[in-house]
Amino acid sequence: MIHLINISKTFEPNTVALKNINLHIEPGEFVSIVGQSGSGKTTIARLLISEIKPDSSEGKIIVGGWDITNIKSRQVPSLRRQIGVVFQDFKLLPKKTVFENVAFALEVSGATKSRINSIVPQVLKIVDLGDKLDRYPQEMSGGEKQRVAIARALIHRPKILLADEPTGNLDAINSKEIIDLLLKINEFGTTVVLVSHDKDVVNGLKKRVVTIENGEVSQDQKVGKYVI
Amino acid sequence: MILITAKRSIIFAIQSFWRNIWLSLATIFIIALTFLSINFLVVINAISDSAIAAVKDKIDVSVYFKQDVRETKIAEVKSHIETLLQVEKITYISPDENLRVFTERRKDDTVIQEVLQELSGNPLGATLIVKAKNLNDYSEILKAIDNPAYSDLIEKKGYDDHHSAIDNINTITNNVKRGAWIVTFMFIIIAILIVFNTVRIAIFTHQQEIGIMKLVGASNSFIRSPFILENIFSGVIACGIAISVIYFILSLIQPHLNNFFAGVNVDLVGYFNANFIAIFGSQLVGIILLNIISSSLALGKYLKV
Ligand SMILES: Nc1ncnc2c1ncn2[C@@H]1O[C@H](COP(=O)(O)OP(=O)(O)OP(=O)(O)O)[C@@H](O)[C@H]1O
Ligand SMILES: [Mg+2]
Repeated sequence: MIHLINISKTFEPNTVALKNINLHIEPGEFVSIVGQSGSGKTTIARLLISEIKPDSSEGKIIVGGWDITNIKSRQVPSLRRQIGVVFQDFKLLPKKTVFENVAFALEVSGATKSRINSIVPQVLKIVDLGDKLDRYPQEMSGGEKQRVAIARALIHRPKILLADEPTGNLDAINSKEIIDLLLKINEFGTTVVLVSHDKDVVNGLKKRVVTIENGEVSQDQKVGKYVI
Repeated sequence: MILITAKRSIIFAIQSFWRNIWLSLATIFIIALTFLSINFLVVINAISDSAIAAVKDKIDVSVYFKQDVRETKIAEVKSHIETLLQVEKITYISPDENLRVFTERRKDDTVIQEVLQELSGNPLGATLIVKAKNLNDYSEILKAIDNPAYSDLIEKKGYDDHHSAIDNINTITNNVKRGAWIVTFMFIIIAILIVFNTVRIAIFTHQQEIGIMKLVGASNSFIRSPFILENIFSGVIACGIAISVIYFILSLIQPHLNNFFAGVNVDLVGYFNANFIAIFGSQLVGIILLNIISSSLALGKYLKV
C-alpha cells in the first residue's frame, strides 16, 4: 500500500532529515512510527501527502500503486483524498460547527448537498459524535475535537489514515479513546499509519513498530515495542 | 459538479466577504477611490480635448484674392490646394458674399457705408478658407500657397497672427496630455499595489482555512476562486459607487461648464453616457484581471503546500 524506496530528504542548506529510507506497508496494516523528536517522523508523513518532495535521486514513493515521487501539483488533491490525515493540533475551523467542519472536506471535492447530508452524520456516528453535530470546536474536549478531525479524514473513504501524534495534546483517557478508534478504523480495512511519541500508547497496541533514528530506520518489529 | 463547485465558490466568497466585512469595505473604498481618480483624469481629458477641439476649430488659413482675379483662376488654386493630404476642407467665399458680410458687420459705421455707396463695383475679392487636418499641417499648406505662380493673385493671407497661438496650444496640449498620462500611470501602479495587498491580506486571514482545504484535497482553482470572486464583488460594488459619485459630481459641475469657456460647450454627462461601457467596462475588466493575477501570485507565493 505504501512503499518508500531509497528516500532521502535534505532541508536546505544542510539538514538531512531522512537518509535512504526503505519502508513497505501492506494494505490493512497498522504501523506505528516512533522515534525521538527531530528524528524525521513528520517528514515521512509530509512526503506521503506530497506536502514536500524527496531529494531527487533514485528514490521512489508509491502510494496505493501510484508513483507519487514526481507528482504534478494538479494531481495532489486527488492524492490527498486517498490519504486521510490527522494532526496533533486537530486543524478544525473554529467558526464552523462539527457538521460543517466535516462537510467542508466533501464540499471542496464537489459533492452534492444530499450526499453531504447523508454521509456526514454517518461518519460522525462512527466516531461517536452523532449527537454533537451542531457544536463548535471550542465547546468540545480535546478528544472530541480529535474525533471530529478523524471523521473529516475518513469522509473520502481513504485507503490510508495517517495520524501524526494524534494523542499529543490529549490525556491518557482521551488518548486511549482515540487509539481505540484508530484500531476500529483499521478493522474496517483502512491502512493506519500512526506517528507517535507515546510509549504507553505504542506498547499497548501490539502491532508493527518502525523506529526512526537520525533519519534512518533503526528497527522494524512485527509486534514491536517502543524501546528508545 | 462544475455547477456545484461554482455555487460553492460563490457561497464561500459571500461568507468570506461578510466575515471580513471591514476588510471588504476598506477594499471597496480604495478601489472606488482608484476608479474615481482614473475617472477624474477621464474628465480632465474630456474637458481639455473639447477645449482644444474648439480652439482648433477656430484656426484656419484665409486666402484673400485680389479683386480682379477671375473665378476660374481661383477654382484652379482651390483644386491645387485640395490635392494636399494635409487639407481637411476648403471653403470658397465669393466676392458678393464677402461684401454682404462686410456690409452687414459694419452697418452702424456710416462712413464705411457712405464709401461703399460711392464705389460703383465690389471692392472685395474672393476668399478661400483652408482648414488643415492637424495643427502642425498649416506650415505645409502655407508653403504651398506661397507658390510664386499665385503671388500675383493673392492680396494677403490671414494666418501669421495665429502662428504663435497654435504653437502655444500645441505645447500646452502636449504637456497636459503628458501630465495626465504620468498621473494615470501612478494611479494604476497604486491600484495594483492595493489590490495585490488586499488579496494577500484576505489570503493571510484565511491561511488556516486554506491549509485545511489543501489537506482535504481541494484543488487549487477551488481554493483560488472564492478569493477572486470576493474581489470581483468588491470591484463591482466599488465600480457602482464610483459611477454614482461621478454622475452626482458631474451633475453639480455641468451647469458651470457651460459658461466656463466662452463659446465652448463641454457636455460631460453626455460624454460619460456615450462612452459608459467603454469607460466603466474597461475599468471593471481591468480590476478583474488584476484580481486574477494578484490572487494567483499571492496564493502561489504564500501557500506552497
Ligand atoms: N522545513 C524545514 N526546514 C528545515 N529543517 C526542517 C524542516 N522541517 C523539518 N526540519 C528538520 O528535519 C528534521 C526532522 O524533522 P521532523 O519534523 O520530521 O521530526 P519529528 O520526528 O517529526 O519530530 P517531533 O517528534 O518533534 O515531531 C529535524 O531536524 C527538523 O529540524
Ligand atoms: Mg513531528
